[in-house]
Amino acid sequence: MNLNSKRYQVDDLQSTQEFYHSRKWTDGLPVVPPTPDLVEACLEWVLMPADHLVGIEPVRQRAITAEKLAVNAVMAGCLPIHFPVVVAAFTAMLQEPFLLHGATASTGGCAILIIINGPVRGELGMDGTFNALASSDRATTVIGRAIRLALCNLLDARPGDVDRSTLGHPGKISYCIAEDEENSPWLPLAEERDVPKHASAVTVMTAGAPRQLMNEWTTKPEEILDTFVAEMKASMRHYSIWPGNYAIVIPPQLRAHFEDAGWSKADIRRYVFENARILRREWAECGKAAVVGKHGDTEYAALPHSDHLLVIAAGGPAGGFGAVIPPWLGHKSLAVTMAIGACLDCKP
Amino acid sequence: MEILDPTHEGASPDFAPAARLPSLGGATIGVISNGKKGTKPFFDALERELIDKYGVANVVRRTKSNYSAPADADIMEEAKQWHALVAGVGD
Repeated sequence: MNLNSKRYQVDDLQSTQEFYHSRKWTDGLPVVPPTPDLVEACLEWVLMPADHLVGIEPVRQRAITAEKLAVNAVMAGCLPIHFPVVVAAFTAMLQEPFLLHGATASTGGCAILIIINGPVRGELGMDGTFNALASSDRATTVIGRAIRLALCNLLDARPGDVDRSTLGHPGKISYCIAEDEENSPWLPLAEERDVPKHASAVTVMTAGAPRQLMNEWTTKPEEILDTFVAEMKASMRHYSIWPGNYAIVIPPQLRAHFEDAGWSKADIRRYVFENARILRREWAECGKAAVVGKHGDTEYAALPHSDHLLVIAAGGPAGGFGAVIPPWLGHKSLAVTMAIGACLDCKP
Repeated sequence: MEILDPTHEGASPDFAPAARLPSLGGATIGVISNGKKGTKPFFDALERELIDKYGVANVVRRTKSNYSAPADADIMEEAKQWHALVAGVGD
């Protein structure tokens, strides 16, 4: 296979680390040396030539090739079997409604949340149960890291360069989660977003840090969701009032109550859409009186429409904990779902 | 051991610096703000300086509708009438 990347000679594993760290090509953690053999193995797994165009970043018009994505995936620790997910996630991120350049450059400091659905989760050993939002398994960790390294190295999204985040958050190292479809009574997220049943898919979202909540003292769906809604309202008051994609993560202990009551994801989305609302004047209660203006009685919804809520079944078997993952910039950046292995340019 | 460069190595010809104006005197200069509060006093000062110090004839101020996205199409269309433009961000 004809690889086009510049080649360097290094003595050993340790000197490889220093070579990459000193050029700011890493996230500070050790990397797997991207040798031609390892990169070629990734490309062969997805049947893509090195110069295959994964997509073009819409603002800076940068072409993203399969080879360069594979180099970064190898560095992140990906095996060839992980690479199709990396390709799908990056392809989804390059779609214009996602607003990738703004998301990587913003002072807002969001990360790219990647949600995985379908059989690929089992094939790659992904685990959407214990520690679901952190390092639950190898595959989600390295895939999330591959996305971040690729943003840094292919789009210059290094801190202080294109990345102008004031704070950022830990999800910017890796932010990938597999939905726990096997232990859920609900439709998988991707199927709710029009991916055919049993197909594997990724959903990407420009996302703030997860805000954890707890309610172990009720079995009523409305009361459980009121806790999620309160957390969403807090984000609207403290961070941004603008409506957009929110993700909520619901663990088994709470899912059981929804199942007992016969609530679907659509029921959850409708309830949250109707209740996650604040008045502009509430800003005055948290130090933002200066921007209330003359429209204090104007009501703002967290979601432009109920479909903007991404309901994710994930988490360990015990504990009434959930999480709200807020959007970076309201509806100016939209979550994108894409089947893994889908061809954007192919005719039906 | 042979290892590969992980960075974007392609050229970006679309982002060459714009041609410099020989003089700002009598020119129309556009100023595009990202819309954040801090841009206003900064661009107010810039506008005064462009006119008072460099003899700019006209400063056109425009604001993007989305501070994290490229400027709107109508602003870019209008920009074709300007001799030069300054794009700036602020918080």
